[in-house]
Amino acid sequence: MIFLLSILTILNYNSNSIEINNAWVRPAGKGMNSALYFELKNSSANSDELFKVSSNAAELVQLHKTVNKNGLMEMKEIKSLKINGNQTIKFAPGGYHVMLIKLKKDLKTGNKIGFKFYFKKAGIIKADAVVKSY
Amino acid sequence: MKSKNIHTRISIIFFISILITFFYGCGKKLPEDIPIGVKDIVLLNQDSSRIIFPDSFKGKTLLLSFIYTNCPDICPMTTHNMQLIQQQVKKEGIDNVEFVEISFDPLRDTPSKLKEFGDIRDIDYNNFNFLTGNPVGIKSILNNMNILALPGDTTETKSGSKIYFFTHTDRITLIDKNGRIRNEYRGSKANIQAVVNDIKILGD
Ligand SMILES: [Cu+2]
Repeated sequence: MIFLLSILTILNYNSNSIEINNAWVRPAGKGMNSALYFELKNSSANSDELFKVSSNAAELVQLHKTVNKNGLMEMKEIKSLKINGNQTIKFAPGGYHVMLIKLKKDLKTGNKIGFKFYFKKAGIIKADAVVKSY
Repeated sequence: MKSKNIHTRISIIFFISILITFFYGCGKKLPEDIPIGVKDIVLLNQDSSRIIFPDSFKGKTLLLSFIYTNCPDICPMTTHNMQLIQQQVKKEGIDNVEFVEISFDPLRDTPSKLKEFGDIRDIDYNNFNFLTGNPVGIKSILNNMNILALPGDTTETKSGSKIYFFTHTDRITLIDKNGRIRNEYRGSKANIQAVVNDIKILGD
C-alpha cells in the first residue's frame, strides 16, 4: 500500500509540478518573427531549469529577455532559466519571451500553436498557445 | 438670514472651483516646444504612395513612432499603443490627428511588408501611415530626432536565412500643427489616456 502510494506520489510529481499557463503568441506573417508569452508555475518544492522550447511554427525558437539599457531596448538570448521551488515566472511583453524566428506560416488571431518545453528535471511538457492581438 | 448666508457662501465656493478647474485646464502646458529639424524627406507609405515628411502632415497634430517589422516584442507593443490611442481619439471625437510609424529598417521594410504588419493588426489606415524609404532620408530623420537603432550581430537559421535585430529607442513623439515636438513617451509603456489628454491640449 505504501509502495503504491509512493509510486502515485512520484507520478503526481512528474505530471503536475511544472505548469505552463495562459500561453499566447503575437500575430505575425509568414517569414516574420513573433513571441510566445506564458506563466511558468512550479508547485513543487524543488527547483528546475527550462533550457529549450521547440515548435513547428518557426525555423528557430530561442529563449530571450528584453532589457532596457538607458532607454534603449535590447534583446538578449538566455541559455536557460532556473525556476525555484514554489515559484511562478511570468513571460510577458517587454521582458522574458520565447522568440519565434522566421515563421513557417501566418499566425492569425485565434490560431492555436503547439509548443514543447524542455526542463532538466520535469522533462518535456507540451502546451498550446493561442494567437491573440496585442 | 443665517441660512441664506451659508447658501451664498456655498455658491461662491462652487463658482470659484469651476473657475479654477477651467483655468487650470486651459493653462496646462506641454513640456517641450522644439522644432522637428527635418523637412522635405520623400517617403513611401504601406500603399507605396509618396508622402513628404513632415510637410504632408502640416496643420495636423502628429503622433510619431519608429519601428521595424521584424521586431517580435517591443515594436508590436508600441504599435498596439498607437492603435489604442487612435481608437480613443476617434471615440472622443477629436479630429485632425495623424498617426505615423517610420521604419528604421528600410532595407527589409518594403511598403508591402509594412502593409502586412498593419493588416495582421487590423490597423485603420484612415489616419495611420507606416512609412519607409531611402535609407539616407530615414537616417537624417533618426539623427535629427535622436532616435537610435543599432543592428546587432547577424545569425543564420538552418535554412540559411540571415537574421538580425536592433537595439533601439522606445519612443512615441507628439508633434503639433507647426511641426514642433511637444512631448515624448515610452512607446511600449505609454499611458493611453495621458497621451490623449496631451492631444486635447493641442486642440482640433
Ligand atoms: Cu527576442
